[in-house]
Amino acid sequence: MRWIALTIALLTAAPLAAQDRTRIVAVNHPLAYFAKRLAGDAAEVVYPVPEGRDPSFWRPGIADIAAIQQADLIVLNGAGFADWVKKASLPRSRIVDTSRGFAGEFIATDTVTHSHGADGAHSHTGTASYTWMDFSLAERQAEALSISLKRMLPEADVDPVLDALRNDLQALHDRATEIAARLEGQTLIASHPRYQYFARAYGLDIRSVSWDAGAAPDPAQIDELTGLVQDTGATIFLWEAAPPEDARTAVTETGLRDVIFPPLAVPGPSGDFVADMNAALDRLAALSG
Amino acid sequence: MSILYLAFAYLRFHWIRSLVLVLVAALILAVPMVSHTLLRGSQEALTNRAEATPLLLGRRGSQIDMVMNALYFADERATPITMAATEEIWDSGLAIPVPLHTAFETNGARIVGTTLDYFDYRALEVADGRQIAVLGEAVLGAAVAQRLGLGPGDTVVSAPQNLFDLDGVYPLELKITGILAPTGTPDDEAVFTDIKTAWVIAGIGHGHDDVVSVDASDENVAAAASLLQFNRITPDNIDSFHFHGDPDDYPVSSIVVSPYDDRSATILRGRYLDPENPLQMVVPSEVIGDLVARIFRIKTLLDAVTVIVGAAALAAVALAVFLSYRLRAPEMRTAFKIGAGRGTILRLLGAETALILSASAVLAALCVILVQSRGDRLVAYLLSL
Repeated sequence: MRWIALTIALLTAAPLAAQDRTRIVAVNHPLAYFAKRLAGDAAEVVYPVPEGRDPSFWRPGIADIAAIQQADLIVLNGAGFADWVKKASLPRSRIVDTSRGFAGEFIATDTVTHSHGADGAHSHTGTASYTWMDFSLAERQAEALSISLKRMLPEADVDPVLDALRNDLQALHDRATEIAARLEGQTLIASHPRYQYFARAYGLDIRSVSWDAGAAPDPAQIDELTGLVQDTGATIFLWEAAPPEDARTAVTETGLRDVIFPPLAVPGPSGDFVADMNAALDRLAALSG
Repeated sequence: MSILYLAFAYLRFHWIRSLVLVLVAALILAVPMVSHTLLRGSQEALTNRAEATPLLLGRRGSQIDMVMNALYFADERATPITMAATEEIWDSGLAIPVPLHTAFETNGARIVGTTLDYFDYRALEVADGRQIAVLGEAVLGAAVAQRLGLGPGDTVVSAPQNLFDLDGVYPLELKITGILAPTGTPDDEAVFTDIKTAWVIAGIGHGHDDVVSVDASDENVAAAASLLQFNRITPDNIDSFHFHGDPDDYPVSSIVVSPYDDRSATILRGRYLDPENPLQMVVPSEVIGDLVARIFRIKTLLDAVTVIVGAAALAAVALAVFLSYRLRAPEMRTAFKIGAGRGTILRLLGAETALILSASAVLAALCVILVQSRGDRLVAYLLSL
């Protein structure tokens, strides 16, 4: 029937007209990594965020959005990650929101209530967005992505790769569980609030300050940290990115042992999410005794 | 040749009378043909558009109103449903839903808030400029752009929904980023924007200056009543725009549903058969098929009326011609006396009549050609009324 042909055209013709090879855009590194592994050579996977920019807060320009609109598949993290998608026009039929299936498990962050004149008060509830730091949720994100990929790339043999990826993520989950067990009773402080899902999944007490990644904290921030250490008895400090040497010195002078534990929203040293996350867990394990 | 010359000279001398006769005869010839052309065009436009839209989901009520609003952007206001209905279709994995928000207008054109899938689905292409990319942008249908004389870089302002609703919908300035290629469908008469922009017009999303703390705790910020809300979205203020409430509750006029196959279509239709369900799913081609059948039953009656009226008009014209010949009896007698035979006089009168009828036929044909050449646009305009 004519409309079935139109549906098929909707799913395939428009994006394919723009480029020959299937193109997938992912809003963060973990999803780009999952897409690369699952699609293999059948698709080109693009991580559009410029180097050195935080994908959580990156604002694409009009040209960037126009390029993303042309992608065959746009992989979103959901949970409020990459907030720009709420203000951009994207083709819903080519979007996969990988965390939609577990929206009920999102972690709410601070709520701010305000009012506009006589309109009455209303609230803005934030959502922690680094969902993949719970590796079981990361597995579910990979599964959600695989469903779209199987529909879009029927020629790609996605299932065996998905099984291997699941195994890798399950191994990360087991490893994190084991390390967390050794850290039981200890409080950790993170340089940025990125570890909510990691803390919940593995039963860790992780508090946060809000320091810019890779920047040295100012004296006021060090004072805030010192107060937090005194209040919580924290023993370990997590850096989300490699800090300047004097920043490390300042942190260790508060009595904390520190470790670089990047959530890998941006590509790590090897570009392999599983390998880089394993390396990060190695560093954390070294501190856990 | 001399007969034709004399006939033409006579008609030219009595040009007012000749002109009236030509116009009347042309109208008698043209009206049935023009109405037939428009009706056939409307039937094709209605049917083609409906057949290209497999299923439509909306609030239970008048099916014709729902289809006319969603497919032809007619004035019938659809009682909105919510985005939850769109999400249900996505979650079913049976079809692609394309939500439409058609509550607002600008400069007499419907503002259609939708997703980019609509452009793929209707095969709409941007002929000039670029596609919408962020909140506050719009692309214009070809006919609207031509009528308003607007192009990329210009702006349009959404019309307030209710003049007295001072606390409700505020006009929002939309930046035009592109003009669509003409399609000869109601899409030519619409202004397209992202559905999120339509929700900003509806007041569900807004942007404003930094909120100032007054008598507030860290978690409760009370803004002054004079807080400035933005009525245009720019790169400088877009970050301040935000939406309130659960996205599943945001309003949608109706949803174009494109099932993956016949089985999916059947399953989906079955889900909305319950009369207690506030939503209804219709097959536009069936609704429009019924409508067209009714129109053509009425057309049969109109055809009969047209024949009777046409015959009466022709009789009136014949009478007018006959009476004019009676008035010209002295003139004909003079012609006879100066040597013109009866045959010559009859040929002269015949030539005058032939010239008038020829001119009428040419004029009627021009009218029909004009209507036919702009038929798609005319039909699209008429359907959007």
